[in-house]
Amino acid sequence: MSFITAYCHLTKDTCYVDGEIISKRDIDSEDAWFKQIYKEQEFVYPKFYKMDMLSQAGFLASELIKRAKPGIVTNYGDDEIALIFANKSASAATDQRFINSYEKNGSPSPSLFVYTLPNIVLGEIAILNKWYGENMFAVLPNFVPDFFLNYTQILLSGSSKAALCGWLEILGNEIDAFLFLVEKEASNALQFNHENLMKVAGQKESPIS
Amino acid sequence: MTYIGAEVIVSPLGETAEENWLALSDDQSGITLVEDVGYNQENIYLSKILSLSGQNRFHQLVVKALSEIQQQIDPQVFGSKKTLVILSSTKGALYSNVTDQFESCVSAIVQQFGLANQPVVISNACISGVLAINTAGNFIREKIYDNVIVVGCDIISDFVLYGFQCLFAISNQPCVPFDTTRNGITLGEGCGAVVVSASKEIFHKQPLQLLTGTSANDANHISGPSRTGEGLFRSVTKTLQMNKVDKGEIDFVSAHGTATVYNDEMEAIAFDRAELSHIPLNSFKGYFGHTLGAAGVIETAASMQMIRNATLLKSKGFAKPGTSKLINVIEKNEVKSLQTILKTASGFGGGNASLMIRNL
Repeated sequence: MSFITAYCHLTKDTCYVDGEIISKRDIDSEDAWFKQIYKEQEFVYPKFYKMDMLSQAGFLASELIKRAKPGIVTNYGDDEIALIFANKSASAATDQRFINSYEKNGSPSPSLFVYTLPNIVLGEIAILNKWYGENMFAVLPNFVPDFFLNYTQILLSGSSKAALCGWLEILGNEIDAFLFLVEKEASNALQFNHENLMKVAGQKESPIS
Repeated sequence: MTYIGAEVIVSPLGETAEENWLALSDDQSGITLVEDVGYNQENIYLSKILSLSGQNRFHQLVVKALSEIQQQIDPQVFGSKKTLVILSSTKGALYSNVTDQFESCVSAIVQQFGLANQPVVISNACISGVLAINTAGNFIREKIYDNVIVVGCDIISDFVLYGFQCLFAISNQPCVPFDTTRNGITLGEGCGAVVVSASKEIFHKQPLQLLTGTSANDANHISGPSRTGEGLFRSVTKTLQMNKVDKGEIDFVSAHGTATVYNDEMEAIAFDRAELSHIPLNSFKGYFGHTLGAAGVIETAASMQMIRNATLLKSKGFAKPGTSKLINVIEKNEVKSLQTILKTASGFGGGNASLMIRNL
């Protein structure tokens, strides 16, 4: 058995941790939305500014989950946390920016090209945390709970003891990021099953009771 | 037991695994000099399928591979509710529509081949193919599916070529993995496919055994290989342990071997740390180029052909050792019975993955 022990949603104007709003976009701010969260939450990781939006979203949501659940950093070995992510559009937003660099802006940009793979966000999270565990990035037509349920259970039956899972879809102005932590042992937490995952995935306002 | 078989390779060297094997064992390479294709109209060495034309090259290759698979297994498997198709690719059909890299192709193959389940696309840079086969093995072991058809495909596009050019990662000669003169990759395109199954009976030809492996991140850099080979070392070590295979049992290593200076150095360090440096090893990149998301599947399929044909295939382009740790790069084809082989892959995002195949 395993449990959903923390989760974070990022939309185009609101950021939630465990269903509670922690940040609202200030439309008058000069800063981009993700930068607003970064500053408000007083994160210090200058590499954040080099990242594309997929990686920034992964960074913010995973760091917020760590704050909500600090045990993730201390309770596990450096290879015991699997990263299982998916989305619909892969790295299309950054792919388009890279195409613009050589079609419109003079020359292909190496700093954009290195972000033109959806799994780069897994690398960023692994580097930040020094996590050497399992990685998976899948592209699916929509959020498929069974994919996360099946693959997380598979990895948790092996050498992984926890999984940081995420649906990370960013394209145009749409942002749909949902990260959740699954642990094998927990008290007073939601059991990791289809019903609860659907509930948590769609749930925005009320915290886990 | 988990079986793997019905391997297919579609490349400049042929449209079946057997055609490709004949070309490989005859020392042929798919790599040719293609004129005016670079960002500044340079001539570039590529392993390009020149006979493939039209807008939907990605889709055409996937269909070719799946159609060939159909000839090699029980026809009931494709439509079964217990069958999953996994597509492994980095950029899919990006060259024709940046916001529809996979979806149209996936919908079309669901229709054309009457698939019962929504395929899963695995897009994990250059480890995609090995990760996809491991995912298939895991699904079979956990009895979530009975059969998984793994297709790995990537196409050469301006996007990918210009990208590697701006990283100064393209070789000015056909790539020479692990050699002292290596200076970059040669891009390739192609499609590989294998069927992973709980049943031996679905295969027309004798399958082999898949020993499902693991992945491990380097936690080092998003586009630069680790200096210690930590992720590859951990992945290989765990894959051996998990399958209770002693390193002395490994007869051959199909390395990633991209022919960049730092990647091949990283691999040599990792194999040295894992005490595998004496085992005969090759990189297939000198034959197929670097086919990115297809590489892990194509190279696993080619390694299966090595087992079936009891041959150690030389690492094309290698002449003089060019890594700080010595490894046993195969310099000449040799007839040898191969019982257990190790396949590895490493890629951007710090990913590393490995698996093993055993002869039955």
